[in-house]
Amino acid sequence: MSNHSQAHPAHLQHHFVDSDQQFDAAKMGMWVFIVNEILFFGGLFCAYIVFRAWYPDLFTQAATELNTVWGAVNTLVLIGSSLTVAMAIRSAQKNQIKGLQINLLITIALACIFLLIKYFEYSHKLHIGIWPGAELYTYEGIDHPLAHVFFSIYYVMTGIHAIHIIVGIGLMIWIYIRAKKNEFGSEYYTPVEMVGLYWHLVDVIWIFLFPLLYLIE
Amino acid sequence: MSEHNHHEHHVSSAGQLWAIGIALTLLTILTVGLSYVEIPAPFDVVVALTVAFGKAFLVCAFFMNLYWDTKFNTMLLIGAFAFFILMVAVTLLDTLYRNDVVPSF
Repeated sequence: MSNHSQAHPAHLQHHFVDSDQQFDAAKMGMWVFIVNEILFFGGLFCAYIVFRAWYPDLFTQAATELNTVWGAVNTLVLIGSSLTVAMAIRSAQKNQIKGLQINLLITIALACIFLLIKYFEYSHKLHIGIWPGAELYTYEGIDHPLAHVFFSIYYVMTGIHAIHIIVGIGLMIWIYIRAKKNEFGSEYYTPVEMVGLYWHLVDVIWIFLFPLLYLIE
Repeated sequence: MSEHNHHEHHVSSAGQLWAIGIALTLLTILTVGLSYVEIPAPFDVVVALTVAFGKAFLVCAFFMNLYWDTKFNTMLLIGAFAFFILMVAVTLLDTLYRNDVVPSF
């Protein structure tokens, strides 16, 4: 559709009354998806709570193997990336397409730094024998017969979170390409806002993972 | 676009967004610092989660714009959390009151 008249902008789907209704519908849909994501991670947090209630000592002992400094650095990296995503949306709202692109690139870079730090954390653990699951786990450093249970929870929770980061990077590359094609501006920036909401959700989940996994020794 | 039914989207100022980012950074430093303080058993988790909820509130209200948004989206978020609590509560009613925890777990 290449109808650029005032009455019917190109981005407006025919089943919406106007751009505002379309924007609000998209945003509500995104929040329903966030509800689904919260309950999806909620199942994992539920497993965490059940096992921590059963074996409180296991968690305080095993968590000493997690590096608080790298966990904190990654928390700050994600907070920084949330800030740049918010700045990207602000740039789109103010028609600053260059600023939108730059903020998206910084966000993608910060997301890659997060994954890089996570890679070093994982590879160090796997190297010393901290694998998920009783059969693969060979590390002797934690004096608890169920040490592998803590790390199974750790790998699944942080692993699924990391998959969300990877998906987010893909989404932001998509938004960046569309921004380069000049598809966004103050009149239409819905996909930028939706990817922003997704990215903030990933940040919020890490805000809870960090103290619950890294800060309990 | 006709002006009479066009409501402006909220645009946060750069200073506002930076203030939230700095507040989140300070709360992260605070929660790491508090983890080195000896707080007796249940309260260390309570303190850590209180800070985490404070950070989550800042992100949801001012980065995800719920503060300026329709109340319906806030209701969705609170509803999701309420059902999460329900899931945990019902699960704990089972797992906390078993005579024997399943041995291999």
